[in-house]
Amino acid sequence: MAEELKKTALSDVVSITYITNENAVFKREGDFLSLNVKLPEGVGLDGEATGGEKYFDRIYLHRSFPYEHPYKYISVLDRDSAEIGIISDVDEFPDDIASMLRAELDRKYYAPVIDKILSVKERYGYSYWEVISDGRKLSFNMRDTFRNILKVSPEHVFLNDSDSNRYEIKNTEALDRKSFKRIELYL
Amino acid sequence: MGERAALTSRLCRINKDVSADDVIVAFAFDLPREGYGVVDGFVAVTTERVYVYEDDRLTADYDASGITEYIFTNGVGCVFAECVYNGEHIMLCRASMSHKDTIAAIIWQLTRRLERGTYSYAYEEDTDVKCPTCGRKYPPGSHVCPHCTAKSGYLRRIWQIAKPYRAFIFFSIALYFVSSIVQLIPPRLNRILVDDYIRVDGAYELSFTQTFIIGFVTVVLSILGVNILQRVIGIVRGLTLIEAGTRMTVALRSMVFDKIQQLSVSKISKRTAGELMNRVTDDTNQLQNFIKNDIGGFFEQVLIFVAVAGILFFYDWKLALVILVPAPIVVMANRIFHQKMRRMFHRQWVMNSRSNTILHDIFSGIRVVKSFGMEHREMERYDDATRHECEAQITAETFFAKFSPLMSFLMGLGEFFLLYYVGDKIIGGTMTLGQMQEFTSYVTIIYGPLRWLSNFPRRYERTMTSVVKIFDIIDEDVDVSDKEDATELDIKGHIEFEDVSFGYDSGNNVLHNINLTVEPGDFVGIVGRSGVGKSTLINLVMRLYDVDDGTIRIDGVDIRDISQSSLRSQIGVVLQETFLFSGTIYDNIAYAKPSATRDEVLAAAKLAGAHSFIMKMPDAYNTHVGERGHTLSGGERQRIAIARALLHDPRILILDEATASLDTETEKQIQDALQILSQNRTTLAIAHRLSTLRNATKLIVLDKGTVAEVGTHDELMRRRGIYYGLVMAQRQMSRMSQ
Ligand SMILES: Nc1ncnc2c1ncn2[C@@H]1O[C@H](COP(=O)(O)OP(=O)(O)OP(=O)(O)O)[C@@H](O)[C@H]1O
Ligand SMILES: [Mg+2]
Repeated sequence: MAEELKKTALSDVVSITYITNENAVFKREGDFLSLNVKLPEGVGLDGEATGGEKYFDRIYLHRSFPYEHPYKYISVLDRDSAEIGIISDVDEFPDDIASMLRAELDRKYYAPVIDKILSVKERYGYSYWEVISDGRKLSFNMRDTFRNILKVSPEHVFLNDSDSNRYEIKNTEALDRKSFKRIELYL
Repeated sequence: MGERAALTSRLCRINKDVSADDVIVAFAFDLPREGYGVVDGFVAVTTERVYVYEDDRLTADYDASGITEYIFTNGVGCVFAECVYNGEHIMLCRASMSHKDTIAAIIWQLTRRLERGTYSYAYEEDTDVKCPTCGRKYPPGSHVCPHCTAKSGYLRRIWQIAKPYRAFIFFSIALYFVSSIVQLIPPRLNRILVDDYIRVDGAYELSFTQTFIIGFVTVVLSILGVNILQRVIGIVRGLTLIEAGTRMTVALRSMVFDKIQQLSVSKISKRTAGELMNRVTDDTNQLQNFIKNDIGGFFEQVLIFVAVAGILFFYDWKLALVILVPAPIVVMANRIFHQKMRRMFHRQWVMNSRSNTILHDIFSGIRVVKSFGMEHREMERYDDATRHECEAQITAETFFAKFSPLMSFLMGLGEFFLLYYVGDKIIGGTMTLGQMQEFTSYVTIIYGPLRWLSNFPRRYERTMTSVVKIFDIIDEDVDVSDKEDATELDIKGHIEFEDVSFGYDSGNNVLHNINLTVEPGDFVGIVGRSGVGKSTLINLVMRLYDVDDGTIRIDGVDIRDISQSSLRSQIGVVLQETFLFSGTIYDNIAYAKPSATRDEVLAAAKLAGAHSFIMKMPDAYNTHVGERGHTLSGGERQRIAIARALLHDPRILILDEATASLDTETEKQIQDALQILSQNRTTLAIAHRLSTLRNATKLIVLDKGTVAEVGTHDELMRRRGIYYGLVMAQRQMSRMSQ
């Protein structure tokens, strides 16, 4: 190719479509969000023209870094799971829209926060957990504690039960002593 | 009663307007529409309306005729049932992952019902499975409730498996009995020796008679004899148990292994290779060790304990009490100590396996590490892990060093009481030295079984864990199984997909409504974007998975009616990920046809364009290709895999990107060879490089999980659809690179 040798940054070659308050209007329609967006003109994979003003009657939001940035780098997808664009930070939108987006995300990502661990019993390779979350007692079981306890950081962990429900412990060290003792073995 | 029936009657109770006959389906959900918490809700779909109830309150209802679409959506940690009602997206409910499979299946059937008016309840067999005792759902893929299964049930089954070896086991238990009795003899002999022959009162001269000497020698010889007897019993017992244990392990292993082989790919891929390896090796080993060391040991120790306790009480019950009273405390302390120890060692073990994982990662990815210059960072990572491991080890060892002497002290505590008590008696003249020695020996003996038995429950528990895991696999349903009257079909090569839908994961259909026909002798090219489901389609033809819906027929016969061995023996595949077994090149080519002659192997290799590069190697066909054939290049591996498939001489040949790693020249040669070969067999070929498919008699374009276009190259080009776009894009690319 006859391009001159010059240093190119990744961002010169690939452009990420960002969805911002300037080019997009999110609306609540029915129980979900719709999107009206003005995308930069371009050529798609099959050679068709893309971009321009588009309307999606139902969009999906997906976190790029669910553990680190729950409200940043949000991918906006259409019904075929094709990405329309990315929201770099939900808070760049006006409050009413930001809170709508947050609510949509919170509804999709469900992981009760564990405040207290009442008991952990192991039997035949399964462990049975009783925990308090949000003032409510929950019990679940887990198949392989080694693989189903995910450590995002040394203190921040997610538990996956055998149905693949998720539970979150935001800070293991902030748990009461007894609770911590019960989970310590698995950390 | 199934969930549907239960909810239907609940609905009819709350809502008098609904008749049970009108209810199509009802399903439960457990999450509020937003936020956290638990609700007891259900959705009921009747012929007229769709109702949503939360805690028996009607929260929404829709006119069924206004619903044009049902949608199942995966959240993260929850799922949604949705519908399109009068053009608007409506959320029917949100539920936890525990309801996922049920709701996904129901939404799929409701979609079917909208499309063609049918509704099948077949899914209830899979989704409506709960433990009848506790109501918990079975763990995925299992039909055993880990919570409720009684250990005794498993023991009985182990006993069944042990049937051929029962004689061995009984014999060794008998030997344990004998040996525990023999163990009780030496203290007795010692006492005789001390009291009758080694006098402390110095009255030897009177006693040096012939009878004295004979007696003395007899006692000494008896001690020797008992000792020898003990060893001999030990050896025989060991041999018997090793025999029984090993044979049983082998039997169990092959049971587990056979089962794993029978399981479908989908069941197997739910578990990791490491997990399956554990089942076959570690868990069976655990059982073997238990049989070898613990079953007989248990009887032995109990017997010794009872016998010695009996002897002690018989001699002097007060003394026996003094010794036995602290025993429970000592046993408890011992248990606590070991529990604590176990936790610590477990921690150390976790740390150890973590640092091992890092090491394993670094070594297997050494090229990546080096080529990115990350040695230093990896070293730090490993250092960090080993430091943690070291800390855990120090904590554990320190604890052990501190408390284990204390435990020994506690264990010996009874002996201190004894010393005081006995000393008093000897001074008082009511006990001889020999009696004292006998007594103290028994006391020492009695603590052995106590210690042993206090750790027995843990070993038993651990073994049962292994046993349960083993049976978890053995009991697993074979989902892709042969029917009893499965036919052996002589395949001609006609393939037909009728309305086939399939997803690896419920609620996520990879393929839907696939309809296509392939005539015998067709060379069919399958094209489409990466991830569209091309490999999935051929997996279905091989019946590595069963379709969720619809039928695949070969020569007009549903492939579920064809025996799997007959089906697969007539299909040859070159998979996208070429896998070479560790062995020689020859072994790898001849894999699917061990009876092949050398000439055939040579011919296949030649046809696959592999012969020339194989002959460049010093050991030619005997070259050993280790671990996945990493010493070969990608293209070389592919050609070996092609040779393997060709040698197999299949009626249906499947090529999944089989020539993708080859240069165009080599590819063309192979293609031409294949072209000749494929004249009387059906070939399904997947390729991204469209030129690969220029010989295809028919092209199938997959898009969005379904067949978008079918036709010859020319037809599709004229149509100017997706295929046209793909060709144009590739032409443009090759023009650019020229
Ligand atoms: N064993 C599996 N379990 C779960 N999902 C799978 C599995 N295998 C494939 N998938 C998913 O199914 C979809 C189709 O995969 P498939 O391998 O059939 O694609 P493909 O068309 O062969 O793509 P490629 O051209 O890249 O080989 C993908 O989204 C993939 O992630
Ligand atoms: Mg593929």
